[in-house]
Amino acid sequence: MSPVSATYWGIPGYAIFWVLFIIAFGLFVQRVYVLLRLMSLGKQENRFGRIGLRIKNMLFEVIPQWCSLRSVTRKDLAGLGHALMFWGFGFFLISYIVFIGLAEGFGLHAVLMGTTFETVYASILDIAGVFVIIAIVWAAIRRYVIRPERLEINVEAGVIMIMVFSLMALHFCIEGFGIAGSGESAAWPPLGAAFARFLSGTDISQSTLTAVSHGAWWLHYALILGFLVYIPRSKHLHVLAAGPNIFFKPIGPNVVLEPIPLEAIEDPEGTEAFGVSKIQDFTWKDLLDLYACAVCGRCHVNCPAQVSGKSLSPKEVIHNLKEHLLEAGPGLLAGDTGESAKGQNKTLIGDVVTEDEIWACTTCGACQEVCPVGIEHIRKIIELRQNLVMAQSKMPESAQLMLRNMQSRGHPWSGAQSLRLRGDWTQDLELNILSPGDSAHTLFWVGCTGALIDRNVNATLSLTRVLKAAGVDFAVLGEAETCCGDPARRAGYDFQFQILAEENIELLKSYNIKKIITSCPHCYNTMKNEYPLYGGDFKVVHYTELIANLVSQGTLKLTKELDAIVTYHDPCYLSRYNEVYLEPRRIFQDIPKAQLREMERSKKTTFCCGGGGGHLWIEEQPGTTKINHIRIEEVIETGADTVVTSCPYCLQMLEEGIEHKGIKDSLQAKDLIEVVEATMK
Amino acid sequence: MNIIVCVKQVLDPEIPPAKFKIDPETKQVIPPPGVPPVISVYDERAVEAACRLKDTHKGNITVISMGSEKAADVIKHAISMGADDGFVLSDAAFENLDSFGIAYVLSKAIEKIGGYDLVLCGRQAADWGAGQVGSILAEILGIPIVTLACDIEAADKNIKVKRIVSDGYEVLEAPLPSLVTVSSEIGLPRLPAGMRLMIARKKQIPVWTAQDIGAEASQLGTDNAHTEITGLSVPDRKTECEIITGATSSEAAVNLAVKLNELK
Repeated sequence: MSPVSATYWGIPGYAIFWVLFIIAFGLFVQRVYVLLRLMSLGKQENRFGRIGLRIKNMLFEVIPQWCSLRSVTRKDLAGLGHALMFWGFGFFLISYIVFIGLAEGFGLHAVLMGTTFETVYASILDIAGVFVIIAIVWAAIRRYVIRPERLEINVEAGVIMIMVFSLMALHFCIEGFGIAGSGESAAWPPLGAAFARFLSGTDISQSTLTAVSHGAWWLHYALILGFLVYIPRSKHLHVLAAGPNIFFKPIGPNVVLEPIPLEAIEDPEGTEAFGVSKIQDFTWKDLLDLYACAVCGRCHVNCPAQVSGKSLSPKEVIHNLKEHLLEAGPGLLAGDTGESAKGQNKTLIGDVVTEDEIWACTTCGACQEVCPVGIEHIRKIIELRQNLVMAQSKMPESAQLMLRNMQSRGHPWSGAQSLRLRGDWTQDLELNILSPGDSAHTLFWVGCTGALIDRNVNATLSLTRVLKAAGVDFAVLGEAETCCGDPARRAGYDFQFQILAEENIELLKSYNIKKIITSCPHCYNTMKNEYPLYGGDFKVVHYTELIANLVSQGTLKLTKELDAIVTYHDPCYLSRYNEVYLEPRRIFQDIPKAQLREMERSKKTTFCCGGGGGHLWIEEQPGTTKINHIRIEEVIETGADTVVTSCPYCLQMLEEGIEHKGIKDSLQAKDLIEVVEATMK
Repeated sequence: MNIIVCVKQVLDPEIPPAKFKIDPETKQVIPPPGVPPVISVYDERAVEAACRLKDTHKGNITVISMGSEKAADVIKHAISMGADDGFVLSDAAFENLDSFGIAYVLSKAIEKIGGYDLVLCGRQAADWGAGQVGSILAEILGIPIVTLACDIEAADKNIKVKRIVSDGYEVLEAPLPSLVTVSSEIGLPRLPAGMRLMIARKKQIPVWTAQDIGAEASQLGTDNAHTEITGLSVPDRKTECEIITGATSSEAAVNLAVKLNELK
């Protein structure tokens, strides 16, 4: 007899089953509805294109658990535990639908129970149950005993662990007491049957055994329903939101900054519309991000700002935004925006996220790279900066200085920072410098830093010589080149970016440029991924891609030996933002005797040099460690005598780190192109 | 409150010193290639002062700049900061004027605009640095002048100006209309916010010639000039660097004090 067909105190089991279900499901639906309504507070955004690819991406990420396994390192195996839990619990979820929903709820008991299918599935559940228990115990030990930095002690995690553990324990009780109570001897499912044999050996009566089994069944049914009610009300909301969030992940570049629709702005004096100053200024996808976060803290331990002691923690930002949405959202939905309404007295910038946090971000993208559920931290931070800069005119003085230079001088370097003029580097070189009316297919876009800062000019000259030696036909803009706009955009001054982008695109089109070679990964990212939205469709390559091809084609021969132990520092905007990390390594492979030693954080999980997101010019929070000093330590760990990179910002930051350490004799920083030139035939 | 701000377009003062060249024959500066001229830093602070007054008292800001037609760029910069309108004063007859000639041209343009409560200028230009135009302009317009302002407050028919003096500041009151020259102590100019950049970009800046403002040729001739440039050269700069040392930092400080005493 099944637990549901029994009668309890005169009430049929079926009635209890359905009443409990309706209450729990009602509470579940009610909460999900509220959450969806809160999400609808956000602005519109189209994330529905290429549905097929999105479904494929989501299934590929979630079912094989690539989302959590990807971040598994020797030091952090938690992703493996998550995968075990996901798969194990997945089997249980199916069993709940089949053996509780269909068998008990819809009266298909006779059809399903006692079949080979049931025996086989129950055996699978036994194994899955063991895996889930292992994962849970391991998780509990990790969180409460080992206490890794990224996890915090919180009640919600404990509740869910106890719930899942209890469900597993009850599963074995139901099986064991059930089989023993029925008086039959069974070999399968193995653990349930073994437990039953043990119980049969005791002197507990059969009716007691059955009663315990039924009791355990009802308890576990109640727990499952409790789970249903609890999940959307806790951080485990991520169970529901993670899949959809991965589905709606950006396709293409990971940081999506939409052009500000200038024509649509009716009141030019009303500037509060710029960027994000209220929770409802985010898009619905940004708000879905908040639901998807399980506070796992991977972003927290990988964020260079956090690691170097700044107040920013991407985890805290997302978590605080979520709390704020849940607190202030209902009032907003009800149209009650009065000061007294709950959460309304809090300002998004200031109370929920502080200005220090907003300015500490280097936009390196480490948080997004390790986030298993596809949360987009960076654009939120940039949009908050947009509001600070464009609407409130509030920014660190160093940022203002840089932005004012961008505006009046067309580049971010000011005063004594550069003793050069834009076109100086072209002196005494036979170059095709474009002047109005000319036309060229390929342009070498030098970038501000490569044209204005002595150290980086060396790399620019090196690249020029290598390109010439390889017979590449290219033109340059010389003194007519301006900034691509990247530092302005990352610092939130999107108008200035837009002006520069539009002017540059117009200029490049006037010369019929089809292909652009960049030496700066920031220019590369901006021109490749962001200019198309402003009408600039050029084929953009970074020089590492071009050189790697020239070398593999044999056009460029690297025949001289490299007498150095090198490590390669991947620039974020090249490796992480644009997946260019194999090309530099291919170049090293072709250099005779090159010894490349990898840093632990390399390729797509590289560690920021500290110079991105405008931070080459924006001061780091006083009293904190400098990010480049941390990176230099990682360089030193490899035992390399040369650290090579392919970004002018990184080169500067690494050199400053070396200088700071006072180890110029044992370690030098080089641009990859300088290594290429030195080993070229 | 209607404010007129006079601004000048100058060679970027942040040009590396080695790039600064002059032609001793024509006694003119040769601008280096690829460096856009900028608004004179003091004038930018005058625009900032005007914008601050507009923030609290509403009103209209008109910016004028005498120079080449390219001076429209600095007018646009002022508009992006918060000014409403602007005019470029450009005419072959305006070239090579001294402070008196420039003040005359500006006064004619200001008279043409009319209806002003306050005229603001930078304390001096960032290129020649004569610091005379403001005073002469006030004289021609026949209005009071307060120089070297680090703060301006407006109240009804008066302004209260904090004026920088060598050992602090003094506070002066003047009736409107007046002219005030603004010093850098007023604070950093604002970063043009939001849409203002776009507004400025699209704005057409009219160019007024001598005829448009009714400037008389007799006032613009070289015979009328009060000053004459007899020579122009890049100063020879010599720096001698001596590092004062000491076994301890206090000893170094003592050595430094001794050295300074010697040089007194």
